[in-house]
Amino acid sequence: MTPTVVEVLDVTKSYPGSAGVRALDGVSVGFAAGTFCAVMGPSGSGKSTLLHCAAGLDRPDSGRVLLAGQEISGLREPKLTTVRRRRVGFVFQSYNLMDSLSVWHNVLLPQRLAGVRPDRSWAREVMRRVGLTGRENDRPGQLSGGQRQRVALARALAGRPEVIFADEPTGALDLSTGREVLALLREAVDGFGTAVIMVTHDPAAAAWADRVVFLADGRIVAELADPTVEKVAAQMTAVSAR
Amino acid sequence: MMRLALGSLRRHRGAYLGTFLAAFLAVALLAGAGLLLFSVLTAKPPADRFAATAVVLSGDREVTLQTVRKKKDKVKTKTKSERLTGAGTLPVDLAGRIAAVPGVADAVADYAFPVAFPVRGEDGAPVVGHGWASAALTPYTLEQGRPPAAGEVVVDADLAARGGLSTGDQVPITTRTGVRTLRVSGVAAPAGRDGLPAQGAVFLADREVPAVSGLAGPTAIGVLAAPGADRAALAAAVRAVAGDATLLTGADKVRGDLPGALPDYIGPISIFGFTIGITAFAAVFVLTGTVALGVRQRLRELALLRTAGATPGQLRRLLGLESVVLAAVAAVPAMPLGVVVARVVAARFRALGAVPAQFTVGVNVLVLGGAAAAGVLVTFVAARIAGRRAVRIAPTQALVETATAPRGGLLVRVLAALVTAGGAVAVLSFVPLGGPLGMGMSFVSSALLLCAVAALGPVLVRALTAVVGRLTRVAGVTGWLAGTVARVESRRVAAVAVPLVLMFAVNATMLLNSSLLGRLTADEHAARNAPATGQVTGPAGLPLDAVGDLAALPGVTGAAATLPTRAIVAQGGKPEDHPSQGLFLAGREAAIDLGVREGRIGGDDTFAASSYLVRQYGWRVGDEVPIWLADGYQVTLRLAAVYERSRGFGDMALPARLVAAHDPRGLVAAVALRYDGDVASRIRERWPALRVTPTAEAVRAGDAQNQQGAWELMVVISLGFTAIAVVNTFAIATAARRREYADLRLAGATAGQVHRMVTGEAAITVAVGLLLGAAVAGIVVGAFSTAQDGVFRLIVDPVTYAGMLAGVAALGMVAGALPIRLVLRRRALPAVADGR
Ligand SMILES: Nc1ncnc2c1ncn2[C@@H]1O[C@H](COP(=O)(O)OP(=O)(O)O)[C@@H](O)[C@H]1O
Ligand SMILES: [Mg+2]
Repeated sequence: MTPTVVEVLDVTKSYPGSAGVRALDGVSVGFAAGTFCAVMGPSGSGKSTLLHCAAGLDRPDSGRVLLAGQEISGLREPKLTTVRRRRVGFVFQSYNLMDSLSVWHNVLLPQRLAGVRPDRSWAREVMRRVGLTGRENDRPGQLSGGQRQRVALARALAGRPEVIFADEPTGALDLSTGREVLALLREAVDGFGTAVIMVTHDPAAAAWADRVVFLADGRIVAELADPTVEKVAAQMTAVSAR
Repeated sequence: MMRLALGSLRRHRGAYLGTFLAAFLAVALLAGAGLLLFSVLTAKPPADRFAATAVVLSGDREVTLQTVRKKKDKVKTKTKSERLTGAGTLPVDLAGRIAAVPGVADAVADYAFPVAFPVRGEDGAPVVGHGWASAALTPYTLEQGRPPAAGEVVVDADLAARGGLSTGDQVPITTRTGVRTLRVSGVAAPAGRDGLPAQGAVFLADREVPAVSGLAGPTAIGVLAAPGADRAALAAAVRAVAGDATLLTGADKVRGDLPGALPDYIGPISIFGFTIGITAFAAVFVLTGTVALGVRQRLRELALLRTAGATPGQLRRLLGLESVVLAAVAAVPAMPLGVVVARVVAARFRALGAVPAQFTVGVNVLVLGGAAAAGVLVTFVAARIAGRRAVRIAPTQALVETATAPRGGLLVRVLAALVTAGGAVAVLSFVPLGGPLGMGMSFVSSALLLCAVAALGPVLVRALTAVVGRLTRVAGVTGWLAGTVARVESRRVAAVAVPLVLMFAVNATMLLNSSLLGRLTADEHAARNAPATGQVTGPAGLPLDAVGDLAALPGVTGAAATLPTRAIVAQGGKPEDHPSQGLFLAGREAAIDLGVREGRIGGDDTFAASSYLVRQYGWRVGDEVPIWLADGYQVTLRLAAVYERSRGFGDMALPARLVAAHDPRGLVAAVALRYDGDVASRIRERWPALRVTPTAEAVRAGDAQNQQGAWELMVVISLGFTAIAVVNTFAIATAARRREYADLRLAGATAGQVHRMVTGEAAITVAVGLLLGAAVAGIVVGAFSTAQDGVFRLIVDPVTYAGMLAGVAALGMVAGALPIRLVLRRRALPAVADGR
């Protein structure tokens, strides 16, 4: 049994405004270290909320979140940030790169902010793996969407995180570019032993994962191990029909 | 199109707030300044002392020159005139001849002359003396007592109340012919009130008036019509007899009154003219910058519209329409605010004495509408210019994270900068900054330099941030980030720095220049009076004849009496009036040192002039110069000397006797004495009313004091407006970067690190702004200072300078660092990380 890197325990979360509607309604789920897990569900089912709570970007109303064994649901800023930047990497749909910094500076930024000496040779290796060698001095604005997502991935990997959270990482990309990014996420799991937790609504993307959990109306409603596109699509249809 | 524009406005409510605020303030200021100028231009005399008359004949009230130029067969006549500060007189026998004209019931010879009285009228109004016959012109009627006989006076009810006077009291009055103590024989008032607004009146026996006033004839003749007489026919008949006297009817009759008795709007007109100049510049400058910043921040949206099929032309129209809607909406609340601004400023100016106490702000719809239209127009033009390149943005830019407008236009920028900087250099080198235009022109040149800075902003800022940004690296990773971001985003830094440049340059220039002038004036005053042992002043001024007695006191070795006045000289057919002094010198030692550069002061029919005036008019010692005195009397005097120390003194030193005879006030303001021994105590003994001050206290002309106050108020307004512009620009820039800060947080920055980076960026922006601002101010102040006395100064007044630096820096830092705290606190991290 591999140890869990992220443990979500009976987490509820509702947003002010949407009266009574719970974005997460008592969710408990664990994510094993060094595995690739996809989170699926219809739009508005609470996927992003789950990811944010699990990653310590947002605080749940109740319940606990353990990140690499450390309870983070009770932590406050800036402690939360310190924990996050040591253990976690992010790859989101909107890349979230600093436009005024070069690719290379973007990749090293989290380590610099953490006040540690950046591991440059590792960063160069990561850049090579994502296929961006030679683009170090470009600015994100000069890159294609797929290239930018690869910079974001390189940035996440350069800090040797235990887990990478990805929210619709292929959402803004075309089919083949999306596939390249998924392959890189897969490689991060297989090659570097990083856990990846990815939110997606695309069965083809989810099929790259080791395991898929399904959310509907803020609850976990199903789970699939060793998914294929067909199995995921069928399960999604079932979930959406509920 | 309209729907699209309105929709866009609604969606970007936050982003438009900045432009809205800028347009709102700009329109309010323009409206305020416009109303003030309009109100002084249309100010009516508060009362007509000639209300009962049909026609008024007046002596000269202005000097008018005509130049006739022949060009081939065309004859061009140019008429230029300058107002007198005194009143010209009419022949003594004219009133008698007018009285004989058919239809004339009576023709009253009106003598009007300023009187120093124990009390002044309402709001410090001057007291004017007349013969009792003049009472019929208004008319004033006796409330108690009887008409004045010789040695008696009738006072108006308002003065009587203020001075606690009643029939039988003794009251001293001072005119240029001396001090007299008269007995109050009665109290008179115009119908329905105690006195006329803006002038107190005292009436003497008609027989005594010529002697007391020192006037050669009446200053005006009031013609009372016989009952049933036809006014037009009467005026025509009077005109036939009047000779070259000016004939006034209707609302113009008041112009026959003593100029000093009417509120004077010449000073306020120039002050408000200048105010509107500064305001208009600052408003346009700030508004343009804000609109451009706003458009730049919406490039992505524009690109999205392009992908949706909008043509550049449509986008241009969208931007134009949007800006018009925005500015028009902003103008609605701005106009009432403008009225408030005008009222507040007017009240303050009244309190300072920079405008007459009777001055009121009239609300004129056309002026308000004009200000609103100007605001809308400026916003529209600025949006169109800012959008010129932006609308050609490629649709593909919509897909890119940060849309960038096509660059270029560098040539245009450089050209614009060259033209404006060239203009500034031209103004600084060719306009005599040492003269009365100096302050205004130094403002014009700093405005031009500011335009150059704005045009070249991004280029200048890139160069400066490269240097300044390097310095911030010592502050660790956040400093490094701030420096790098500032260098890359030099356009944005420029946009935010320019209001800081404006704030520092305009206000520092105004403050430093006026402080320099003040200091030079005080220095020259001190140097002028250095030879004197003491200064003698009277409560209301001294008649010139009294000076002889002072000078003759044993122990007095030198005396110099000064009578402030204004005199007119002409150049190229244009009469121009200049502050001057009547100067009386006595004794074997000099009691005043004017810093004579050439020639010698004194001698019959001569005068001395300041080196500024001599340069201005191209005079040489020995030249015969025609000069018009305060009452329009023309003399020709020989230029005998040129002096340097004219600040706070005047540009001409005229024979005191002439000034005493031709300036209606005609009193000595101060006598500088040089003496040994106990002269001071002997003076106090013999003339208890006189004051002897040992040190030369700065007896600044009242005028200069008022101007100074007005000037300071303008700096306050300008400081306020530019400060709001600074805060506004910073806020717009910060609001647009919310996303960037969230990205930083996602990359692992703590909130503290983001704050530090933002503070670092603000510090860079402030440093850049201050460097550029100091450069602009330095050029202008340096040139101004060199023009004053040949000394090049940059800082002038270290306290003011440091205060401005610190104030602008503090404001910039607060404005730069504060909005981000609000932004970061409000937004939950994930919401922004999603790009929501
Ligand atoms: N910041 C927010 N404020 C209010 N409601 C929100 C916010 N974020 C998400 N929600 C609501 O919470 C529910 C779950 O949202 P989300 O986790 O983003 O769903 P998903 O990612 O599965 O589409 C939805 O009903 C959504 O409208
Ligand atoms: Mg989502």
